Amino acid sequence: MDDIIILEKINKFYGDEVVFQVLFDIHLYIKRGKFTTIVGPSGSGKSTLLNIIGLLESPTSGKVFLDGQDVSSLNKDELAACRNEKIGFIFQFHYLLPEFTAIENILIPYWIGKGRPPGEIVDRALHLMDRIGIKKFSGKYPNQLSGGQQQRVAIARALINKPKIIFADEPTGNLDSKTSNLVMELLKEIVDEQKTSLVMVTHDPNIAAGADRVVEIVDGRINSDSLHSN
Amino acid sequence: MRLNSYEFMIARRFLVNGRSQTVLIILGIAIGVAVQVFLISLMDGLQRNLIQRTIGSSPHVTIAPPLSSPQPLGIGGGAIDDYQRPLKTEESEILSWQRYSDYLSGIEEITVAAPMINGNGYIEKGRSSFPVLIKGVTLPEADVIYKFNKNTVSGDPRPGGNNVLIGRASSDKSGLKVGDTFYLRNQTGAGDYFSIKGIFDLGSSAANNMVVMSLDRAQNFLDITGISSIEIQVHDVFAADGLAESLRGSLSQVKVESWQERNQELLSGLQAQDTSSAMIQFFVLLSITLGIASVLAIIAIQKSRQLGILKAMGTNDKSAARIFIIQGFSMGFFGALLGILLGLGMTSLFMFGTKSSGGPTYELKITLTNILLPAVLAVLSASVAALVPARRAAGLNPMEVIRNG
Repeated sequence: MDDIIILEKINKFYGDEVVFQVLFDIHLYIKRGKFTTIVGPSGSGKSTLLNIIGLLESPTSGKVFLDGQDVSSLNKDELAACRNEKIGFIFQFHYLLPEFTAIENILIPYWIGKGRPPGEIVDRALHLMDRIGIKKFSGKYPNQLSGGQQQRVAIARALINKPKIIFADEPTGNLDSKTSNLVMELLKEIVDEQKTSLVMVTHDPNIAAGADRVVEIVDGRINSDSLHSN
Repeated sequence: MRLNSYEFMIARRFLVNGRSQTVLIILGIAIGVAVQVFLISLMDGLQRNLIQRTIGSSPHVTIAPPLSSPQPLGIGGGAIDDYQRPLKTEESEILSWQRYSDYLSGIEEITVAAPMINGNGYIEKGRSSFPVLIKGVTLPEADVIYKFNKNTVSGDPRPGGNNVLIGRASSDKSGLKVGDTFYLRNQTGAGDYFSIKGIFDLGSSAANNMVVMSLDRAQNFLDITGISSIEIQVHDVFAADGLAESLRGSLSQVKVESWQERNQELLSGLQAQDTSSAMIQFFVLLSITLGIASVLAIIAIQKSRQLGILKAMGTNDKSAARIFIIQGFSMGFFGALLGILLGLGMTSLFMFGTKSSGGPTYELKITLTNILLPAVLAVLSASVAALVPARRAAGLNPMEVIRNG
């Protein structure tokens, strides 16, 4: 199967008394190894869509397949294990754990899934840090790093478990444009090298322009879906 | 349940990171445990001291003739077949005491069973007279109970013939010294001259008002054929009432009484003390638990972001909860450890203080139970307290954190 993600007829409602619908009958197939961006105005439901694909939220109805597995029926623990194993997350607000050094932050996903990381995993973390130019910060705590450096640590953390797919929610939203470009370049390169799929929510048209595919969500529906040739 | 090492690592980092909070909680637990260790040791020591003072130099079980409650003859059927003896004096004396002594010496719990003569008399000096208790004893049996050897303050602790020991109170009142000769009158008015060989101090005014002589001299002086009582000491003082109960079953012709029965008031006093100290401990524990619960709840809120991100990365609800249980347990553990040290410090300081100030020197009783009980309870309550934030951590939806930044 060539699709890493298949969404079938996804509907999402919020609220108990006042119910309102965020997503309407979404069908979406995302190919392996590609860079897909989800764009759309604020409140369009794109983050909700990303969270459903990322197994952080469950759809009210519809089916989600991740890597060929129907994850709609998994319980909370199984979903957590699945996130740990198959998905890497990069958030807008980096969300590094301030109590841990850069390299410890990178190793935490491995530690959660498989216990104390062996030497080869530490080497892998160091290699990733080297690759994105933050190796010299490995012993630093997040508050000793700049925003761009922190986001690069978050990228390495998303990659440590060799996930099938990486979800990024406006990863450069908090960075200046120069740093933003640098981080994006690195992310694209390293995702390419690792042959990982990348799905990103963004407001930035420049980033969308650099993606393999742009899915536009408006009012909870797919408004346009365009493939880029680059 | 699978414990993952990262839970410990994260719990440890959260604790180390929130240094001042952690230190304060651990100190709080430590003080609570220390107070309890000290309190329990103090209470325990005080009680043992009280009991020691009350019964240390007195019999644990007394066997006496059934003066106040005559037994119907022929109903007994006990181990000693003494009810057929047609002696009216059996009611106020124990005539066949040798047989009792033989029987009692075969019982393992008993350290000593000493025959005693008890009577009343007067020391006469000039025109005054001082009432005293006359006690006839055999050595070395009586020495096990009254420890004349140790408690003699002047003279020689061995009475014999007309050489007697007198208590400090009698000596003070009458002004008699070791070597003095005095006139002692019995209840019937007959009397004789005795000389003082030693003066003892048994620590209680009743006991210090005794004139102690040898058993046969007392028999002769008081005109008693048998003995007045058999006084028993046992290995375990708290087993005395049990022994008394079983002796009552086998000795039908005599009255058996344990120290507990003679000291009901003391016992209920001690009971009340136990209850109040248990209550103090309970409230100390309660405040420890509430304190930890509230601080951990604050930590759980402070760490919501971290928990959210950990959950997004695959930490499940149980792991998130365990991170907080581990924190509670660790704080309880280290608090208890420190508390034990503090408590031992307080205890030795107290002992040093009371000794050097010349006050009453209680031996505070530091036992393993006195130390471990409050420590284990503190660790348990810390872990229970951690359930509050643990539930919160388990229920936290990572989306809340991620959406709100």
